[in-house]
Formats: sequence, C-alpha cells, structure tokens
Amino acid sequence: MTATADRDVRSTGPAHSDVTPHSPGQLVRLVAGREVNTRIRDKGFLAGSAFLILLIVGMLVFQVLINSGEDTTRLGVIGGDATVSDALRSQGEALGTEVEVVEFDDEAAASTAVEDGDVEGALLSPSGAQPELLVESDGGQVETLVQGAVQELSLTQQLADADVTLQAPPEVEVVALDPDAEADFEAIIVALMGVAVLYGLLLLFGQFVAQGVVEEKSSRVVELLLATMRPWQLLAGKIIGLGVLALGQMLVIAVIGVAGALAFDLVTLPGDLIGTVLTVLAWFVLGYAFYAALFAAAASLVSRQEDLGSVITPATLLPVIGIVIAIQAAQDPTGTLAVVTSYVPGISPMVMPLRQAAGAAEWWEVALAVVLMLVAIAAIVRIGGRVYAGALLRTGGRVKLREALASEKA
Amino acid sequence: MLEFDGLVKAYGDNQVLKGVSFSVAPGQMFGFCGSNGAGKTTSMRIAMGLARADAGEVRWSGRPVDEAVRRRIGYMPEERGLYPKMKVGEQLTYFARLHGMDAGPAARAAETWAERLGLGERRGDRVEKLSLGNQQRVQLAAALVSEPEVLILDEPFSGLDPVGVDSLAEALLEQCRRGVPVVFSSHQLDLVERLCDAVGILARGSIVASGTVPELRSTTAGRQLRVVAPDAPGGWAQAVPGVRVVSEQRGDTVLELAPGTDDQQVLAAALATGRVTHFAWREPTLVELFRDAVTTPQEVAA
Repeated sequence: MTATADRDVRSTGPAHSDVTPHSPGQLVRLVAGREVNTRIRDKGFLAGSAFLILLIVGMLVFQVLINSGEDTTRLGVIGGDATVSDALRSQGEALGTEVEVVEFDDEAAASTAVEDGDVEGALLSPSGAQPELLVESDGGQVETLVQGAVQELSLTQQLADADVTLQAPPEVEVVALDPDAEADFEAIIVALMGVAVLYGLLLLFGQFVAQGVVEEKSSRVVELLLATMRPWQLLAGKIIGLGVLALGQMLVIAVIGVAGALAFDLVTLPGDLIGTVLTVLAWFVLGYAFYAALFAAAASLVSRQEDLGSVITPATLLPVIGIVIAIQAAQDPTGTLAVVTSYVPGISPMVMPLRQAAGAAEWWEVALAVVLMLVAIAAIVRIGGRVYAGALLRTGGRVKLREALASEKA
Repeated sequence: MLEFDGLVKAYGDNQVLKGVSFSVAPGQMFGFCGSNGAGKTTSMRIAMGLARADAGEVRWSGRPVDEAVRRRIGYMPEERGLYPKMKVGEQLTYFARLHGMDAGPAARAAETWAERLGLGERRGDRVEKLSLGNQQRVQLAAALVSEPEVLILDEPFSGLDPVGVDSLAEALLEQCRRGVPVVFSSHQLDLVERLCDAVGILARGSIVASGTVPELRSTTAGRQLRVVAPDAPGGWAQAVPGVRVVSEQRGDTVLELAPGTDDQQVLAAALATGRVTHFAWREPTLVELFRDAVTTPQEVAA
C-alpha cells in the first residue's frame, strides 16, 4: 500500500543533537516552572499579595496603637508637695495609668493649661479644706483619680493628727491556678489569625488551580500538552508550581507577622508564637495538597470559565465550614465540636492548629489527624487524578463524574 | 517508516475506524483525505495518544509509538490550542522544552521559528492579541520548533489565506527534504494533489484508496480517452477490441479502454475515419478520484 515518493527518500529520519529525553520529574518541573513564571508576573496576583502584606502590617500597627493606649495622665497641681505627687501616682497605678505631675504657680496658668489640653486636670489646694479640680468639661477618670488621692491624703492627715500609727497591712500572696492561661490565650489568637490566612490562601490558590485547569481545557492547549506528557504529570506540575507560590506567600506573611510581633513586643512568650506559626504552616501544606487536588478534579469537569462556579462551589463549602468551626473552637478549644472536627480531613487544617495552640491536643491526637489527612490526600489525588485524566480531553458541556472515571486515558 | 496498522475504534455503537492502515516513508508527504466524520482526526489522535485504539497500533521506525516517541512528533491538533495569555516567544520555548530541548537551544529554536514563519516582531505579544492567521502560524511553529522527526498535522491549511498557504506549504516541503515524514489531513484536494507524494482516502472507517496520485489514476476506473473525429460515422470505435464507448456526440467520443488495450490502435482507427482534431487522455482530478472512491461501495486496492 506504500507509495514511493518522487523525491529523495531517506531511510532514517534526521538526527537531533539538542534533544535529550525528559524524565517524568523534569516534565513536572517544567510545568511547575511555567505556573510560577506566569503567576508571578500576573498583575492581579501581585496586587493581591501586596494587599495581604499591607493587611498584616496594618494589623501589627493597630495592635501597637491599642497597647500604647494606657499611657500617661498629666495632672496640674498648685501648691502641692511631694506627698501629694506620691498620692496621685499611687492612685494612678491602681487605675492603670502613669501620672505625671506638673506644678503651676497660680490658678490662671493652670486653667490655661487645662483649656489648651496641656494637662487633663489641675488640682487646687490639695491639702486644704476645700480642694478643687479644674477640668475642661468632664472629670472622668481624672476625677476618680484625684478623689482617691485626696481621700488618702486626708485620711493620713487625720490619723497623724489623732496620733495613730498603723501596722503595715499583710501582703496578699497570689496563687495562679493556670499560670499559662494568658500565654494560651495569646497562642489561640495567633493560631486563629494564622488559620484565617491559611483559609484565605487555600481558597485563593485552589481557585488558581481550578482556573488554570479550565484555561488549558477551554483553549484546547491540553491536547498539545498531553501529546508530550501524562495527565498526572501536568496535574502534579500545576499543583506543585502554585503550591510553591502559596507557601512562599504564607512564609512571607508569617515572617512579617512574627518579626513585627517580636519587634513591637506584642507577645509574652516568643517561643510559643513561633511554634504556633510553624504548626499553621505545616497544616497549610497538608490542606493545600488536599484542596488543590480536589479543585483540579472538579474544574476538569467543565470546559468554560463561566461554568467553573457550578463545580467549585460544592468544593468550597468544606473550608467555609472549617473556618466557622475554627472561630467557634477558638472560644472553646476543648469542646466536643472542636475535638471531633479536628480529625475530619479537610477541616482538620483549620481546627487542629487551634487545639494545639490551646494546649488541648495530645501528640497522638495530632498524629492521628495528620495520618487521616494524609490518607485522604492519597485517596483524593488518586480518584481526582482519574477524574482529571478522564475529563481532560472531553470538551463541550459538562462531563459527568461517572463518565470521567470510566473513560480514563491510557 | 511511519506505519498506521489496522486501527479500530468505536465510540459506543459508532464504529469510527474499521482497520485503517497506511504507511509514510521518511521524506514523504502524505495527504489524508476523507469526508467529514470519516475518521481522519480520530486516527491522528490515536497516533498522538489522545485516544485509545480498540485494536491496531501506530509504529515509527518499527517501534510502537509511545510517550518517548511522541515527544519526537510535531503535532497540530484540529482544535487549535495555545495559552492565550502567554507570549509567542515564551510559548514556543515552552513547547520546545516539553519536547525535550534544553533551555538554551529551546529559546534559540523559538526565535528561529518565529522569524521563519513571519512572527519575528510579534514574539513579545500575547497569543490572544494576534490575528487568527498569525495564531495559526504560532500553532505551526509550536509543532515545528522542536525539530521533530515526524509531523502529524490535522487540517493545517484551514483558515489560511493564499499567502499563508504558500508559506506553510514551503515549510512542510522543507521538512520533507530534511527526511521527515509528514502526514496532514485536508479538504483542499487541489492542494493535496499539488503537494503530496502519496494520498490516502478514508471513507466509512477504512482507507478506500491510497498511493501516489498517478497510481490512483491508473488504478481507478475513470481513466478516459477523448477522441474528436468530426467526420467519423457513429459507432466507429466499437470495432476496436477492448474499447467501451462512454459517450458519443457528433464525432466527439469518450472511451474507456480495457487494461492492456493499445491507445495507438484507437488512434489508427480514428484516423481511418478522416480528420482527428483531439486525441487525449482525460486525467481525472483528485477531486474526481475522491468522489469516486468515497461513493463506490467496494474497496479499491492501490
């Protein structure tokens, strides 16, 4: 049946010096490299990353401002001595504010200072029979403070006049039932913030994976790709490439958050902070593997970006449930709901870090949750990979899950 | 030798391929013709591993085509496919790398091919910004960029203007000169006739005719001799042995000769009647051969 060509027919094809066959790993790396290169130059991605970092920096600055709220109270005093200043300061301490006493020569100077907002109040004749407090409009905390100080001064004076000597009152011994409570609370807050970032990035990068899958399907470039590689290599490359970016972004946020918290002295136990952040990072890797494979398989069922929502929404439900439970678990890390859901694959990356931060999880509980998650990832990569391979070359309309599983490519 | 051997494929009850076989020698250009839905695309997709044959296989150099071999095949799918948001140059480099080239040579090859197919100035543009004709060129460049050993192109000429057709034809002929076997499918039979060393006509799931165009002509019933002898009496040719008269109208006769019949004998008989103003073989065009092969129910051996 073969025809002889008119022109010169050679028995062998041309030789290639430039070409060496790729190993499967190299193909996966090539695909991953393309994902990183394309994404990292995408304006939307860069803007999103910048926004996230700004958000973290903003939260740090906000924290610093809140903490510096309990600053000093400036009080003017006319005709007072050291005992007056001491009394005012000790009252301030009890009320959680540092008192700075400013001496004025006369009432006129004091009232000018009050009107200018230079001092919050001015106390006239503190030791006299009728002490007077000048304020701009309303006494507030200053009134309480001054009242206490004047009372104390008057009491001391009267006792001294009556020649009574008081014995030093007994010092109260403080016994802490749960000395870690404050540190635990702090760790839970850090874990909750970490889980919130984890949740956001999981959804964001899951969406990227899904969009990438549909882009290749809708532009039909997938035919050219699959002529050179197997579906699993394409899938693995895509997930790993975007995963590197996702983890990179998570790390940047973690480093900025931790460095900021340490620099501004926002935490009591830096070791706990770093431990919690590392836990969240580790759970992020597991969660990403799980959701990326899930989103990719779901996305492979449709051929147009417009149809993506219909298959992605059910897969998005799980992390949404996860974050809701996580917020609840932050208030009650030992509750049944938190304990049970911290083992559920897909939800565990959001709940378990909170239990760990609260010190409410034994090591074997964490290990069990990790093992369950790994088993789930293996299953979803296997089944999702089959769906992906089966649905990838079927364009036009939506592929049914059963059809995709049945028509796996050779 | 690129061999398609007994490909069988059914989608449900629809028997698409019923044993498609043909082979293409290195340096040969093979035109793959057939009506819509005849199975051309399915055959090519099987070769590229995008569909699985129920039976039969495709071989290159005697070896079944597998992943490694496929990386040495340049392929252009029927449904064009490129990353719309990727730049032309980067895209070509990427495909060259997927086919096994290293980064440096891949980038150089991408540059060379963009230049050769007239895309030099568009290298930095995103594919989605190009006209359809230029996108087609990028698609072809993607198939050629890795300097493949085999080319399989599904409808490469569709949608190209005449200038584009010429430059694509030139590019394919050059690949043939390098010793690459080229298989392409097309509905533009005049083009196939002009370019191809060999033609395969696919109908109802199997090859109904294949060979060089002259071979097809000589074997196809439909080779006719037209003789115009104005003074000849009616039925003059019937006396010549091995001749069947197809039509006769006032001295203008169309004859079919049985194999082995000497056309010079027919000429002599015609001259015996008087003046002969026209004596020539009517070569059937590929279009006629195609129509003939596709409509006749029985298989025509090449």
